[in-house]
Amino acid sequence: MKNFRLSLRSSLPVLAVAAGLLSGPTVGAAEKYPSRPIEIIVPTGAGGGTDLVFRQLADLVGPILGTNVVVSNRPGGGGVIGTIAITRAKPDGYILGGLWNAPLTMTPHLNPVPYTPQDYLPISMADTSPTVLCTKKDFPANNGKEFIDYLKKNPNKFTYGNDGVGGTIQLTMERIFLPLGVKARAVPFSGAGETLKNFLGGHIDIYGGSMTTILPYVKDGSAKCLLVTSPRSVSSMPDAANLTELGVPDRSTLLWHGLIAPKGLPADRAALLEKAFQQAARSPQFREYMESRGITVEGSSSADFRKLIDSEYAAMGEVMAQIGLGKK
Amino acid sequence: MMSYLIDGFALALRPDNLLYCFIGVFWGTIVGVLPGLGPLAGLTLLLPLTFHLEPASAIIMLAGIFYGAMYGGSTTSILLRMPGEAASVITCLDGHEMAKQGRAGPALVVVAIGSFVGGTVSVVGLMMFAPLLAKLMLQVGPAAEFALMVFALLVMSLIGTGHVLKTVTMILLGLVIGTIGLDPITGYPRYTFGLIELSDGISFVGMALGLFGVSEILLNLENIANVKPIRPTLKSLMPRWQDLRDAAPSIGRGSAIGFLFGFIPGISHVISTFVSYAVEKRISKHPEQFGHGAIAGVAGPETANNATTGSAMIPLLVLGIPAIPATAILLSALMIHGLQPGPELISKHPEIFWGLIASMYIGNFMLLILNLPLVGLFVNLLRVPYAYLAPTVLLFCIIGIYSVNTNASDILIMVGFGLLGYLLRKFKFDAAPLLLAVVLGERIEVSLRRALIISDGSYIGLLQGGASKIFVSAVVLLVVLQFVAVLLGYRKKMFSDV
Repeated sequence: MKNFRLSLRSSLPVLAVAAGLLSGPTVGAAEKYPSRPIEIIVPTGAGGGTDLVFRQLADLVGPILGTNVVVSNRPGGGGVIGTIAITRAKPDGYILGGLWNAPLTMTPHLNPVPYTPQDYLPISMADTSPTVLCTKKDFPANNGKEFIDYLKKNPNKFTYGNDGVGGTIQLTMERIFLPLGVKARAVPFSGAGETLKNFLGGHIDIYGGSMTTILPYVKDGSAKCLLVTSPRSVSSMPDAANLTELGVPDRSTLLWHGLIAPKGLPADRAALLEKAFQQAARSPQFREYMESRGITVEGSSSADFRKLIDSEYAAMGEVMAQIGLGKK
Repeated sequence: MMSYLIDGFALALRPDNLLYCFIGVFWGTIVGVLPGLGPLAGLTLLLPLTFHLEPASAIIMLAGIFYGAMYGGSTTSILLRMPGEAASVITCLDGHEMAKQGRAGPALVVVAIGSFVGGTVSVVGLMMFAPLLAKLMLQVGPAAEFALMVFALLVMSLIGTGHVLKTVTMILLGLVIGTIGLDPITGYPRYTFGLIELSDGISFVGMALGLFGVSEILLNLENIANVKPIRPTLKSLMPRWQDLRDAAPSIGRGSAIGFLFGFIPGISHVISTFVSYAVEKRISKHPEQFGHGAIAGVAGPETANNATTGSAMIPLLVLGIPAIPATAILLSALMIHGLQPGPELISKHPEIFWGLIASMYIGNFMLLILNLPLVGLFVNLLRVPYAYLAPTVLLFCIIGIYSVNTNASDILIMVGFGLLGYLLRKFKFDAAPLLLAVVLGERIEVSLRRALIISDGSYIGLLQGGASKIFVSAVVLLVVLQFVAVLLGYRKKMFSDV
């Protein structure tokens, strides 16, 4: 018995999250909010880029709210499992969700999920970053226009790596390719790292993914990025054409991270959280952390975040229908 | 290079870094020993602690967890037939048989020595050839990966102890189970019955714990009165001279196999172990001993999984690409400190690269010193009466498996596969080929389909690029030779005799 207790203690860090979930709520009549720790469910594994963004935010927003804010990871199903847990949580402001594009605006078009955009309340979008298309140094195009023209002249000849079918990168790119009449073969990988490896090894022609991952190879001259999925240019990628230059500024999809809450959260608590997370996102520490990676800090309002999710949700549904993906 | 290495040792031998290195390898050993928890869980739990450390100290500690876990994983495999993590599944086969024969001590000692040799060889490889090997790794695209996986599948058919038909059945069943989950190319659910919990496929850790550990407990329950606690004596702890002589060549081969298979992205540490096992069985003078406590079947695989740790670091340090989930956490740790791993890391931050290399020599040595005395302690676990040991172990499995994804359905998977494992063993089917076929099946499918998209549907097009030409031809040649040999009657018993 003694042994057992000792060993249980050694696995305490693992159980801490579970214990946090189990400790029941103590709702008083006029309860001060927040009066106990707040949990942010992040539907991805610990240690990844998304997870780290929310861990930073949690550390910064805790002192503002005057309580501990902890991240708990609920990976699985491409983020769907964790998102379900968020939408089904009690809307008392003690369980929030840290999300990115795919589980909210993309996956629901591909596979049946038991939630809709109306099942959650967007609180604030923390940051955005564009993705890029890059080629090897010797690719016969030196700017965005030449690149698009060359792809158009050679339909379905070139391959671009992305983060999975129906994933963020493929839909982001196809959303741009469709109006421009570009056709390229999408090769799904499990993430930007694997895409980069196959790009560097010459197995695919074009890298599609986050800027952070490819940046060292742009700096050393072995890769050139020719298209950025933003209406504006990016300083670290001077050769990359933006979408305004290509004549399709309304076709932009940015990667984002944002906070959501289950629907039915009282308005006063929502307003408090919105303000606190805006303040945390705009703090110098967060700005420095994000901007060193080429990511733009937003700290948007709840209303703007809602608008973005709704329009992105609609646009993604359209793109999927046009390229023949989507629920069958 | 020498001066860099000396600087690296100066950094790694600083008292604080020695402490971080020790914390890392110690914690790694613990998460390796605990069933269900692997290096990934160990890394993510300690990652937040590194935010306030120097980058070199952070990476020294986290890398220690990674290779330390490879030492611990085999302990429960040997003692309880409960794989501590994926890379120690194959060790259950002969390791636990050795324990039943009262030879758990020698098994654990040989594992510690083999792990030390494998780990050290891989650091030497990392130090001498990192940039060159990184270039070679880039050559392995989807087509070459497919060929490598098929090769591994062929090798796998050598592992079974029973009739060849039973082994093939298990492999096919494993391949079928591997198709459960979202289609890796189109994203549509397959055989998930509408359950989102199944969309990532069947949990490997759950399957492994169920098929090996839970089934063992169920089998023992049949004659619980006869399960006698083993009372190891001091003499039985130490390997005999003959044990070491038997194990030495296996450790050598395991080092080479592990380092080479470290090239395979994603599951190198798992694949290397069973390739090593199959090789040992193949060239052994007494293949019939395998599955009944052959020390070579423990020494080879356990050396091999440690030898992959060095090569798994190469893509991370040289290219900035994490090849396996555990090194993805190391990448995060570096990026938190504003270091972008990539082609310039070694030249711009030599202290990180060389400090890490030096710490890996030191850490492997620490692990050897740490693990040898632990052998005595661990073996004494077997003194615990089974009536107490079995439920405790089950509880740990449940905590461990739940903590991986905080997903209760993984527990059900473990229990379900425990029942399946029980039935399989009653009917004398081997679970190892099934389990490994699940892992391989997923990778074979995804790499072939990626390769076909790249070649635009042409099978001839798979042969583009040097690496895939070599690997694909090698596999074809191997298969053709096997058939020719059978046809000409040189080898009547194609697989069954090995």
